[in-house]
Amino acid sequence: MSLNIAMLSPDIGRAAGSSPLSGLAPTAAPQAAPENDFARTMASMASDALNTLKTGETTAMAGMQGKAPLQQVVQAVMQADQALRTVVAVRDKVVGAYQEISRMQM
Amino acid sequence: MQPMQLFNLAFRQNEWFAQRQAVISSNVANANTPGYKARDVESFDAVMDSSASTSAPMAATDPQHFASSGSDAVRDQNNGDDQAEVLVSGNDVNLEQEFLKSNDVMRGYTLNTQIMKTFDRMLQSATKG
Amino acid sequence: MNDPLIAATSAAANGLFAQSTRMRVVSENIANADSTGKTAGADPYQRKTVSFESVSDEVSGADLVQVQDISRDEAPFRTEYMPGHPAADAKGYVKMPNVDMLTELSDMREASRSYTANTQVIKQVREIASMTIDLLRTS
Repeated sequence: MSLNIAMLSPDIGRAAGSSPLSGLAPTAAPQAAPENDFARTMASMASDALNTLKTGETTAMAGMQGKAPLQQVVQAVMQADQALRTVVAVRDKVVGAYQEISRMQM
Repeated sequence: MQPMQLFNLAFRQNEWFAQRQAVISSNVANANTPGYKARDVESFDAVMDSSASTSAPMAATDPQHFASSGSDAVRDQNNGDDQAEVLVSGNDVNLEQEFLKSNDVMRGYTLNTQIMKTFDRMLQSATKG
Repeated sequence: MNDPLIAATSAAANGLFAQSTRMRVVSENIANADSTGKTAGADPYQRKTVSFESVSDEVSGADLVQVQDISRDEAPFRTEYMPGHPAADAKGYVKMPNVDMLTELSDMREASRSYTANTQVIKQVREIASMTIDLLRTS
């Protein structure tokens, strides 16, 4: 499963994409200073989501090894799921809006 | 993000319920142990007041870093209570009372879990397409 | 690692073991309530008692119950006048076990009740764990 966080912000997407989450930097802040509030919001949301996803992954692995309490595992995994869903939904809206705008220029 | 507060609170309270369940279980197991005094956890309100535990769980990047968000304080339940019945053996565990506590735990835990499920479902429909 | 649900289960499981040991001892007492010695003046079956103690488990944070000791009751034997009995002494008295049926039956009831309480705890913890995991179910 490859995460298309890449589409959300070009800078974050530059990290070694697809499945090994461990390959991605936990707080991948955009390199260039964002020009406006919207980009900054998107970037921070994406990095929050990334953190949540990483926590979910490590907690789940610890849970499988019996090293973490059950509830923490469930909480982390559930919140990772929600974070991903939210980020994907926002991405879809943003991409959809962008496509509409580019159609208008024809 | 508003929903996050709800989930954090619900999970934190569930942890408290689980702690309470462990103490109830210890009480029941020691119902016949001489000298054993029944225990209970601090009230959830006290737990909320005394810690900043409504914050999000720590983003642990290393599996070694795990602990539950601190054990909730456990105290002797009948301390100074003259009504509590203490047997000749020094044991003061009351099985009926433990059953009642147990019911409270079950009910509260089920409610929290159902609430979380519902809000999760709501989030799912909100983020579909 | 400090999972309270695991602590609850292990406390209850230890409780089950302790209570079942107790029930076994009580059954033995009941079965031997009339067991006399075999030779003249010999001692009969001596009542056994179980004592519990509580052990705090640092790892799980629960108070586990353990059988501390299975020892003999030092209460004196009662005697019955049965002159022809193999265990009768010079005066014709036979020493009988210091087992009182009423005590044993009530002990058994108490142990059974505690045993049931422990199984109910285990059931509840199982349900709680199941509910928690069920949160991750998507459908």
